[in-house]
Amino acid sequence: MNWRIPRRTFLRGVGAMLPLPFLNLMENEGGAANIEKAPVRFMTLFKPNGVHPPSWNINGGKENDFRMSPLMRPFASHKQDLLILDNMGDFGFSSHANSTRRFLSGHHKNTKSASMDQLIADQIGQETVHRSLELTTEGLFPNQIGCSYISYDTNGDPIPRESDPQLVFDRLFRNPLQHPAKRKEMVSLLDRVGEDAKKLQRKAGVEDRLILDEYLSVVRDAEQRLENLKSTSSESPELTKFMRPDGLSNLNEQVDAMLDIIALAFWTDSTRCVTYMLGNSNSRMIFDFLGIKEQHHYLSHFFRNFSRDNIEALLKISEWHMEKFNYLLTKLKSYKDQNGTLLENSVVLFGSGMGHSDNHTATRIPMILAGQGGGMLKTGRYVRYSQNQQIGKLHLSLLQKFGVEKAAYAQNSTALAGLDSSDYEAFQEPSFESWVKSDGQSITVQGRLRMSDDLDEAKLFFVDVEDQRSVRIDVSFGDFHHFNLAYHCGTPITLTGTGKQTGSQYVITKLTELNSLFGKKPGTQNG
Amino acid sequence: MHALSHFLGVFGSVMFLTAFIMPVVSDGADVSYEKDVRPLLAKYCVACHSGNEPSARLDFSIIKSQQDANASFETWGRVVELLKSGEMPPEDEKRPSNVDIEKMESWYRSRFIDNVEPRPADFRPRRLSAYEYRNTLRSLLGFDLEVNIIEAEQTIAEKSLVMKLLPLDPPGKSGFRNDTSGNPLTTVIWDQYSYLIDAGLEAFFSPGHQTELEVYSGPISESGLSNEQANRLLRSFMTRAYRRPVETFELDRLMIHIEGASSTEELIKRLKTELKVVLMSPEFLYRGLLMRGNPGQQPVDQFELAERLSYFIWGDMPDAELMRKASLGELSKPEIYRSEIVRLLDDPKSRNLTEDFAVQWFSLDEIDHVSDNVPYAVALKSQPLDFVKYLFAADRPLLELIDSDVAYFNTLTSRFYPQDRKQLAKYRKPKGIEVEIVPNQQIRLQDTSERGGLLTMPGVLAMNKGPVLRGVWMLERLLGEPLPDPPPDVGQIPKNRNGQTLTFRERFELHRSKPACAVCHDKIDPLGFSLERYDKSGAFVAKSGEAIDTSGQLPSGEKFSTYQELKEILVTSQRDQIVRNIVQKTMSYALCRKLEYYDRPSVDKIVNELNRSDGTYRDLIRLVAESLPFRETIIKGESE
Repeated sequence: MNWRIPRRTFLRGVGAMLPLPFLNLMENEGGAANIEKAPVRFMTLFKPNGVHPPSWNINGGKENDFRMSPLMRPFASHKQDLLILDNMGDFGFSSHANSTRRFLSGHHKNTKSASMDQLIADQIGQETVHRSLELTTEGLFPNQIGCSYISYDTNGDPIPRESDPQLVFDRLFRNPLQHPAKRKEMVSLLDRVGEDAKKLQRKAGVEDRLILDEYLSVVRDAEQRLENLKSTSSESPELTKFMRPDGLSNLNEQVDAMLDIIALAFWTDSTRCVTYMLGNSNSRMIFDFLGIKEQHHYLSHFFRNFSRDNIEALLKISEWHMEKFNYLLTKLKSYKDQNGTLLENSVVLFGSGMGHSDNHTATRIPMILAGQGGGMLKTGRYVRYSQNQQIGKLHLSLLQKFGVEKAAYAQNSTALAGLDSSDYEAFQEPSFESWVKSDGQSITVQGRLRMSDDLDEAKLFFVDVEDQRSVRIDVSFGDFHHFNLAYHCGTPITLTGTGKQTGSQYVITKLTELNSLFGKKPGTQNG
Repeated sequence: MHALSHFLGVFGSVMFLTAFIMPVVSDGADVSYEKDVRPLLAKYCVACHSGNEPSARLDFSIIKSQQDANASFETWGRVVELLKSGEMPPEDEKRPSNVDIEKMESWYRSRFIDNVEPRPADFRPRRLSAYEYRNTLRSLLGFDLEVNIIEAEQTIAEKSLVMKLLPLDPPGKSGFRNDTSGNPLTTVIWDQYSYLIDAGLEAFFSPGHQTELEVYSGPISESGLSNEQANRLLRSFMTRAYRRPVETFELDRLMIHIEGASSTEELIKRLKTELKVVLMSPEFLYRGLLMRGNPGQQPVDQFELAERLSYFIWGDMPDAELMRKASLGELSKPEIYRSEIVRLLDDPKSRNLTEDFAVQWFSLDEIDHVSDNVPYAVALKSQPLDFVKYLFAADRPLLELIDSDVAYFNTLTSRFYPQDRKQLAKYRKPKGIEVEIVPNQQIRLQDTSERGGLLTMPGVLAMNKGPVLRGVWMLERLLGEPLPDPPPDVGQIPKNRNGQTLTFRERFELHRSKPACAVCHDKIDPLGFSLERYDKSGAFVAKSGEAIDTSGQLPSGEKFSTYQELKEILVTSQRDQIVRNIVQKTMSYALCRKLEYYDRPSVDKIVNELNRSDGTYRDLIRLVAESLPFRETIIKGESE
């Protein structure tokens, strides 16, 4: 039995009201012989407020042989569709607003040009009814307005975002001008109210008549417009029959509904380019539906506002973000599109604008690409670059893959290698010695710096020393920030400070010097 | 800076004027515009005040008849005032004799003050403002149409779908947004109405809003909406939406369309179509299209009166009780009408008088731009809002608007009240919240003499930066004095040259000493500079390096050295002008139109009554609602 139903026919029928899994049965009409090449879609999902690096980072592991980090577990089942990038970012710290600009504009100073999603939309969004969608979940943050936008137009000005799934749904699937059924309804309505107004006009006084003239002229204009449309627009599928989301009572439902709509919008080829912010980059949202009472931004400063409860709440929120990424990927996979799934014909960029959420380090910014983009990307890999790679290089590479003719973007003229099967310089650590010594006054240690994995002591750092107990770094926020411990995390360093020794356990409580063994010094500019 | 000057007070300038007018003998009734006044204007004024760019944008050459003169009635008080003070015609021009000036004045007094016949305005239907539309739709459906957007501290988000989608109404000639006479329906607005109604009806028939639906249909059983219930729903909904009883045959015509539906689903689909016809019809979108009457002057009908009252006080449609009274004809009984006014004022919906009327009157939305820090901006704005709400709720005397020891502040604004902040209840920020919006506390000021009343509220001071803006705002918003736009080439205030040690005020006064500037600045500056002890943020500067000169002299001759002394003058000798302005602004808002010369007697009557009884804000609302222009109208006949 042939289960394949031509998509257009199907959409015209009542069938579109069926639950979504059934839609997978659909195939493009025409059969395998003359399948047109599927369009490639581009989407970004932005995660606010950085991450807790020890929970996010993959430490060790090889390109094709790695373990997903604890925070990546919610979308671990999509491992083969992911290209996890590491060592992405800049050298300095980053304000929230700068980190937001960086996400799609490549660099915080790239403020006079379009963000990369818009350049891609210019390239791939011309044939669809909607060139692009710019979406979010929450209101504007006027105090640092840059925190509220990732998409920017040609002049580098922010593009208004929409948060309401119902409004987006209606814009995509219920536009009365696009759909014959809605047009018919409108024609009949205009007829009825026009009649009513004319009847009133016959009885009306002088002033009333003026008002009714005004009303009737608008009715006539509206009729005229529909009349003009009838002759120009072609029959389009009955998109009006999709189910409109309803009863969205919290953020979770709002986001799920929006992700459903995004998938539908891609599948129906209503648009090919979407950006979606899960929140402002410094989001003050309260995740009450997760049982959390503190603001996300407050919790994200987990060093300053440290408590076991706080860090658990923060991780719960981050985990929710990861679940939404998973939801999106699952959704995109569930739709068949020409020869493959939607995800195979999409590029999804998921990430944040900063790494460590307390001191806003701009290194090791979470960046994951998902989907194969119709062959653009080689997924199932963990790519850790030898050196810090500016986000602009990634964007330049993606722009070129989407056919945008750009020789440089955000001050970068080299595209990021390694997204496909091209060679790249992988992270490789030279061997180093580790040791600890104390002269009675100060303690100096050389070894790999890491954050504690133990959530009870999440603000503690350790320097691992071979054959010895790791040296405990238990310092103030001032030292943590001044020496940028977060920046050096995962790398070998030499560190000097004061503290005490109890048995074999060294504890450093005050830092005096910190040097990287192989890497660059962290920048100090606020970028 | 004169963007607000469309907001013309109507009879304001007369009061400054009367302070130095000598009694005139002629009663002016025999002076004619065409025969007497126009030739004088032609001789002394038209040379400058005509042509493509008439001085002060005032063209006398086009005012040809008494009727034309009536239409520009706001002009004449000022004309007479300038003639008498000698400020016009300018020094090197020919000047009219004192006899001529007296003739002008007696004409003015006779036609525009003493012998004006009160009458209501011509009847004119009016489209609901976006704000009224939002409220009306909410009252009809029983719920707000909300935007799905997460609200967090320190962010701004428009939660109302109506306010998000409808363009904001520009203020009409009255200066208020509910004066939509110059703001016609467009296809853009039509599309948004259509969208809003679709969204609203979809929600109305969703399971989550069954309670609201049942208000119209009666209890709906498991088996769904019956035909009879659909019928009842449509009839009662249409009547409410039109805000008056609908003819049976009109209702029946609608019913035809829902008859014979094959299933509940089909029935609901048809109901939605019919309800949309109702909600897109002119009868719903406009007020007054169904008013009944014959040509000529008459009281408006009961339903129109109910509508006028509820849109005035609530910015919303009448409720069931008011409709019931209207249908029984009871609103024509003075004591019942009066008790309805009280009932509407007691209802929480009367917050409209603060949130729509007072916000526009005092341009309080400007406070939104004072700070990007949302909780702080909200705190600043909530002070005047809470204060005005209190004036209405506690029924305070009018002049307490500027002279009161009641203040509202919270932890974010308490620093402006250093001597009284100890009265504030202890506030503990919840854990994990960085800044939050905290309600104000009512405080009776004991030791903070520099605050109290609207003029010294931090947000109000901060939204008007500098003495000129503050002075203009006080003139236009508080004293109701119309001001023309400033000339285009005013230039910058010069800096001190080498060796000069002039204060800003001294340099400013040199800069604007030209007669063309002085005409207005003599009024603006004393008011504005009186507040110089309050800096740009609205903070009070008790001590400073430079001597702060807050002294001034009003055109009436009254002198003061501090803001406190000015306030004393405002609440005593300028009291009448302030009360008059309060009445005019309220009346203009209530009538949704600019006041005309024939409204003068109605305004006078209310002003006198309020002065006589040391009237309060509720007296004000009542007197306006009982006034002739509010209760009556003139329907134009065919021949006119």
